[in-house]
Amino acid sequence: MNYVLKKEVFSKFVNSVLKEKGIDFIAPVKSEQNDIIKFQKLISFSDLCLDKNAYYPLKEWFFKKNEVLFEFKGDKITIPEKKPKPKIFFGVRRCDLNSINRQDVAFSEGCWDPYYFLEREASTLIGYHCFEKEDNYCFCGSVGLEDHYDLMFYDRGDYFLVEIGSKKGAWFLKQRIRFFKKTTERLSARKKVIKNANRLQKKNIAPFYDHKNWKKGVDLCLGCTSCNTLCPSCYCFEFKDKVNISNLKNGKRIREWSACQLKDFSEVAGNHIFRSDREHRFKHRIYHQLQYFNEKHGKHLCSGCGRCIRGCPTRIDFVGILNNMKTKKPNVKKPKK
Amino acid sequence: MIKNKKTKTKSTKKSLKNKKVKKSRTAKKPQKVDLVYGLVPKKKKIIDFKRETSINFTLKLDWKVKHDPGQFMMVGIPGIGECPISICSYSDQYVELSIREVGNVTKALGNLKKGGFVFARGPFGRGYPMHYFKGNNVIIVGGGCGIAPLKGVIEYITKNRTDFKDVLLYLGYRSPDDVIFEEQLKSWEKKFCLNVSYDKAPAKSCYDGKVGFVTELIRKSKFDNKNKIVFICGPPIMMETVINILKKKKFNNDQIYISAERRMQCGGGKCGHCMIHGVYVCKDGPVFRYDELMDYKND
Repeated sequence: MNYVLKKEVFSKFVNSVLKEKGIDFIAPVKSEQNDIIKFQKLISFSDLCLDKNAYYPLKEWFFKKNEVLFEFKGDKITIPEKKPKPKIFFGVRRCDLNSINRQDVAFSEGCWDPYYFLEREASTLIGYHCFEKEDNYCFCGSVGLEDHYDLMFYDRGDYFLVEIGSKKGAWFLKQRIRFFKKTTERLSARKKVIKNANRLQKKNIAPFYDHKNWKKGVDLCLGCTSCNTLCPSCYCFEFKDKVNISNLKNGKRIREWSACQLKDFSEVAGNHIFRSDREHRFKHRIYHQLQYFNEKHGKHLCSGCGRCIRGCPTRIDFVGILNNMKTKKPNVKKPKK
Repeated sequence: MIKNKKTKTKSTKKSLKNKKVKKSRTAKKPQKVDLVYGLVPKKKKIIDFKRETSINFTLKLDWKVKHDPGQFMMVGIPGIGECPISICSYSDQYVELSIREVGNVTKALGNLKKGGFVFARGPFGRGYPMHYFKGNNVIIVGGGCGIAPLKGVIEYITKNRTDFKDVLLYLGYRSPDDVIFEEQLKSWEKKFCLNVSYDKAPAKSCYDGKVGFVTELIRKSKFDNKNKIVFICGPPIMMETVINILKKKKFNNDQIYISAERRMQCGGGKCGHCMIHGVYVCKDGPVFRYDELMDYKND
């Protein structure tokens, strides 16, 4: 069963959720200083910005930049008790919803990551569908996105069509049912397709690993790692021990984001670096996103949001580079007579 | 207006109820799961500290944990850091770790004494699948520090000697001063066919013995590829040349087992540092059959 939320009621709905105690309402907000849209705790309805996708990904709310794993005092280790506040995320696009699903897969694979899933369980994801691609960097149509949401809002002119995707979403809606009305309207899969977004034409990039065209992108790369930090599904991390300056035996171990574009990412004892070439590091990221993860889990790690290209200082368009690559024709040597 | 107020109070009450439910759900899980996942290290006592050479030492930890030969542990001291160290023993009663001082953490570990404590988590990874090789001849090739994980294999074989036929050991050291496991070498010499080589003669003391690489020992030896399994662990150049020699002796790729080394942070196949073409060394390795990795030499 789908629901309808009229746009006149929309502001009332948001304001009522904002007034509820014990819940954080997080939505894209445009900063006044530099016009960058970021997911933030919403204070008033007028700050809400749904025109464009957020520049920064949503991952920092679950997979945190600095996560304290434990604190130590000499030989004693204490695990901090974490009770995350229930959070509602509104205005999450389809690409971000998928990338959160990919991180769920990565952090539950093998052994369950408690720090990530504590935050994840306390969250309700409300999506906002974009019917058109945002700009020329998007390529979400060609990475095979699926439906992963608790609630999904479709903008239908003067009303929102709301779809329920999980029990959590249904429960959230049931509490605020006074704003919604039932409908029988349904959107077919064809209508949900984001238009003109299937820019990446290659489905299997494995044969191009040794292609010479990679050099075009590699030569422009500065190794600044903004692609890693802006990627909504990159999940590599590092442990660091931060000690108190007053007493060096006390401190805490922190989990920080890490970036595979950094040279010391694969450095081992004896100063040996396994991926010392920039080309290997550049290819490693793209192949992890589009091939390695797919081989294991049957879906791309990349969600096609285009943030890595939009945020790159030299705008390296790896999708364009991949599209221009052509498979070498097999060199069939004629047998010598 | 009054009606509105009523509905508001109701909704807030409901939300409070929800909050309670969520709290009880989340409060239970972390304490249980944290230790299972192994992000939080355990404090372990050092029963024995033995200095093998000027830079190598062996720690014996009071830790009764089941492990396979070839698995590794994340060992460290809070405030300094952690590093992956392979287990060099095979026992239910204790864990032995052979360490070379190369970085901050290993140097700090070298300053520890018997009766002290280290913080460790593990064991991680996939070791040598020893039960798989029953009835085979085993060739073990180790170089320098790489002998440490192979010592676990040798201890496994001595415990289950009847399961294996001939055992050939080829061990290479940099010089006679750098010999680790000197005591064990004497007992291995009696039980197995032991070949030791030294890359260089020591600088200060006088030494008359032969000098040469392990690879040359293998090149000269006359064994064929029938019913044989080879375990190699050592510096990458050594492993590559040994594999090339073995290929000339017509060994198949699935007869060779190598042990890979990468930077590691989590040990559970998440942090991504140890990834080689989508394979996590910490989770899917560190022991690989050669054909699993042979296409990825550059990476």
